[in-house]
Amino acid sequence: MFKAFRSAAVIAAIVGAGSPAFAFEPHQPACIAPSGAGGGWDFTCRQTGKVLQDLGLIDGTMQVTNLEGGGGGVAFAEVVTKRNNENDLIVAASSATTTRLAQGAYPRNTMDQVRWVGTIGADYGVIGVSASSDIDSLQALIEKVKEDPRAIAFAGGSAVGGWDHLKVLLTARAAGVDDVKQIKYVAFSGGGEAMTQLLAGSVQAFTGDISEAQGFVESGDLKVLAVLAPERLPGKAADFPTAEEQGIDAIGANWRGFYAPGGMSDEAYDYWVTSIQKMYENDEWKKVMETNGLAPLDLSGAAFQDFVFQNVQEIQDLSKEIGILK
Amino acid sequence: MDTLIALAGGFAVALTWQNLFFALIGSALGTMMGALPGLGPANGVAILIPLAFSLGLGPVPALILLTSVYYGCMYGGRISSILLNIPGDEPAMMTCLDGYPMARNGRAGEALSLSGYASFFGSFFATIGLAILAPQLVRIALLFGPAEYFALFALAFATLGGISSTNQAKAAFAAFLGLMLAMVGVDTQTGTPRLTMGEIHLYDGIDFLVVIVGLFALSEVLIFIEERHGGASAQQAPAIGRIVPSWSLVRHCMPAMTRSTVLGFLAGVLPGAGASLGSFIAYAVEKKVSDRDGTFGKGDPRGVAAPEAGNNAAAGGALVPMLALGVPGSGTTAVLLAVLLAMNITPGPLLFTNNPDVVWGLIAALLIGNVMLLIMNIPMVSLFARVLLLPSRFLMPVVAMISFVGVYGISGSNFDMMMMVLFGVLGWALRKLDVPLVPVVLGVLLGNEMEVNLRRAMTISDGDWSVLLASPLAIGLWSIAIAGFVLPIFTGAMVKRRMKATAVAESAIAEMDRGD
Amino acid sequence: MSDRIFGGLGLLFSIFYIWQASLVEDSFMTDAVGPRTFPYILGAGLAIASLIIILRPDAGAHWPAGRQLFELAMAVAVMGIYAWFLPAVGFVIATTLASAYLTWRLGTKPATAVLFGIGSAAGIYVVFKLALGLSLATGPLGI
Repeated sequence: MFKAFRSAAVIAAIVGAGSPAFAFEPHQPACIAPSGAGGGWDFTCRQTGKVLQDLGLIDGTMQVTNLEGGGGGVAFAEVVTKRNNENDLIVAASSATTTRLAQGAYPRNTMDQVRWVGTIGADYGVIGVSASSDIDSLQALIEKVKEDPRAIAFAGGSAVGGWDHLKVLLTARAAGVDDVKQIKYVAFSGGGEAMTQLLAGSVQAFTGDISEAQGFVESGDLKVLAVLAPERLPGKAADFPTAEEQGIDAIGANWRGFYAPGGMSDEAYDYWVTSIQKMYENDEWKKVMETNGLAPLDLSGAAFQDFVFQNVQEIQDLSKEIGILK
Repeated sequence: MDTLIALAGGFAVALTWQNLFFALIGSALGTMMGALPGLGPANGVAILIPLAFSLGLGPVPALILLTSVYYGCMYGGRISSILLNIPGDEPAMMTCLDGYPMARNGRAGEALSLSGYASFFGSFFATIGLAILAPQLVRIALLFGPAEYFALFALAFATLGGISSTNQAKAAFAAFLGLMLAMVGVDTQTGTPRLTMGEIHLYDGIDFLVVIVGLFALSEVLIFIEERHGGASAQQAPAIGRIVPSWSLVRHCMPAMTRSTVLGFLAGVLPGAGASLGSFIAYAVEKKVSDRDGTFGKGDPRGVAAPEAGNNAAAGGALVPMLALGVPGSGTTAVLLAVLLAMNITPGPLLFTNNPDVVWGLIAALLIGNVMLLIMNIPMVSLFARVLLLPSRFLMPVVAMISFVGVYGISGSNFDMMMMVLFGVLGWALRKLDVPLVPVVLGVLLGNEMEVNLRRAMTISDGDWSVLLASPLAIGLWSIAIAGFVLPIFTGAMVKRRMKATAVAESAIAEMDRGD
Repeated sequence: MSDRIFGGLGLLFSIFYIWQASLVEDSFMTDAVGPRTFPYILGAGLAIASLIIILRPDAGAHWPAGRQLFELAMAVAVMGIYAWFLPAVGFVIATTLASAYLTWRLGTKPATAVLFGIGSAAGIYVVFKLALGLSLATGPLGI
């Protein structure tokens, strides 16, 4: 029990250390989680709020509001139409947000209607098979798919056209599969369920994020064929080969971060960018990242704007190519 | 023996004053949130997460707090089911069927205590089952592929007939309506929106919370308003009755509790089935096994004990796949899973070997929380039951407002509230027409999983329908489903004849219970 | 008679539903079953259940009329207005008004109803907002 109190004391020490001065300070900092209480975006808001408060970057607590609906579309529309000029507000976002923006799943909304603040980490994609499978490399898997696309069923935690699915398509396209539409993908409600069905032998391959896969690799149930990161990851995941090493140029990062209303003042935008940046650099956040299986991805301000723009372009191109978008 | 030593170690971790205090707080809050329509276990746990974090709790006390909220909700849901005919959360839906009639018959106190005992019985043995069998039980979850899940859901709907209505066509109507509502939203297997009529608020589908609160709580308010202005004599507040059920009544319900605990626990172990299916199957089976005189649905105590033991056992069972596979079987376990991850504990195949202190601490915590809930709930029965003495003209507006707050507080969407009003009107109309509401909610809860598993199975088999009967387990489930659907058609006439004797039998049972 | 009308409405709804389901577009990838099959089956099932209800109706239900119907409609309207305007007006004000109206129409003296409306709004606010920390609608007055 004392551990808890000790870490509280450490936090208190950090809080006392620095009190930064900004041209802008939020009066009532608020974060919209476009999911219900307990969803992924909800966690992004709450954990960020907690660390920002611990570090003294905001006064008082971050007010977290849940605004569920349309896979984030309801919150996006609300921010654009009703809360466009608010300076105290940030909204949780992730690759799912840009995927849907790119595919036009938020009717009448586009990425340039809001200001993109920064990322707080990323979860890289993995492709794996059951440990007992005789497939040993990503190349071998892709060969099988090329021979008979119906022989391999990929299980993932997102809907068809969603991020887990796109990762497979991106990889297959980079590996020279002609008609990626033929690839068999079975959508489950969450990575855990997809993994269970892989273990149960219902499907042949798994596509998901590294945080979902790690435990099953350690238990000897899952064989990771490739991690879709630019280079090998630090820590326990260092053993997983990247796709690039195997001659397939595919990267899939599920980032987590924030956007802010489009009409936010420059001072306020700078404040949020700097605060998220400061939080990211802090050791306490590093711990949060580690416990949540988040890999480093540090983008903020203009760099993040560009990244989002590129991300949306890529997904749009791919979606057009395979026919999700007309 | 190893298990006992490990469990003793767990108690050593869990039994501190601080942890007992958190178990107490969690139990009290959980019972309250369970009883409030709109707030269920998933939201209850999610709401308390920030508290656990901001107190800087370690894994064990945080888990104790959150799981006692979880178990507490399972206890609390029954209270509003029995007293108001409004399920406090979705697994408590089945408790309405006999709990509310019992309260109307002046046995509210007994119904509350009995369901408290049944809840304890169910969660206690489910927790024991979790402790002893978790690693082995995982194998059960791995037996279920998409085809088997589809058969399981088909079984649930096949046994639906006659559960809550005497008119089979109306029960079927209700089930189909629920399933149809579940189809609304983006189709996960193709990514296209279905039946949304272009309304973005419907892309995520219709939240079952909106359906259940609208159908049950708001329609209750509307029925009351209608009666009040209809000049119908204001319903007399029923007596609360005795608070402690007689020993012979508890004994009378013991077989029901035992059967339901086993069934509920197994339903809980299967991810995707969850507590609602647990309480439903427990009730359905109990009705098939025990309802010789047609007393179910009219205030049979076994109809209260069965679903309560079932849903609490399912709550324990749902922790099996969550801990051993990292697969959340329900919304609540999904939230708990997220909490564990945030505390650097990765549930999964290695949890039992890597973090035995956490697992056994948690199991000990569940047992502690459960005992605490029993101790807390039984003396408070007379307090809860006093709700019945409040004049409805004050009670009903509060019920309506809490329903709105519950839905708005979770989703933050006033579109959902508008939908809820619509479902309130629909629920009112269906009630007037004697169409049961339970199948509607069951359809909304299970519809997606049912369809999606059919389609997953077909995708994997490339369109070969024989995959649905490819395993012995699937064949077994289909056989039970068909038997469950066909038998009542033959026995239906017999049951109807017996029902005529109901009134006599019912009063005889009541006599027996009180005569102890 | 009620059941016949009800069955008829059910039949119309199932036709509407099947029509809506037929409008579901195929996406770039379609599985063996497709997005329309299951809705078709359900629509057909509802239609069959409706037909049986039309052919073998139960005894008629008792429906409200006149004043009773008016009161019901008003209550539904108040709830609808409450749901619609809650985010704009704020939780405490909206809840006070709606709760007071319902309490009044259920047979409480107006003054008592207003007091009860304020009390219930404040009570729910304390429990949900202050104790449980849910975000309730914040109106212009900050409550």
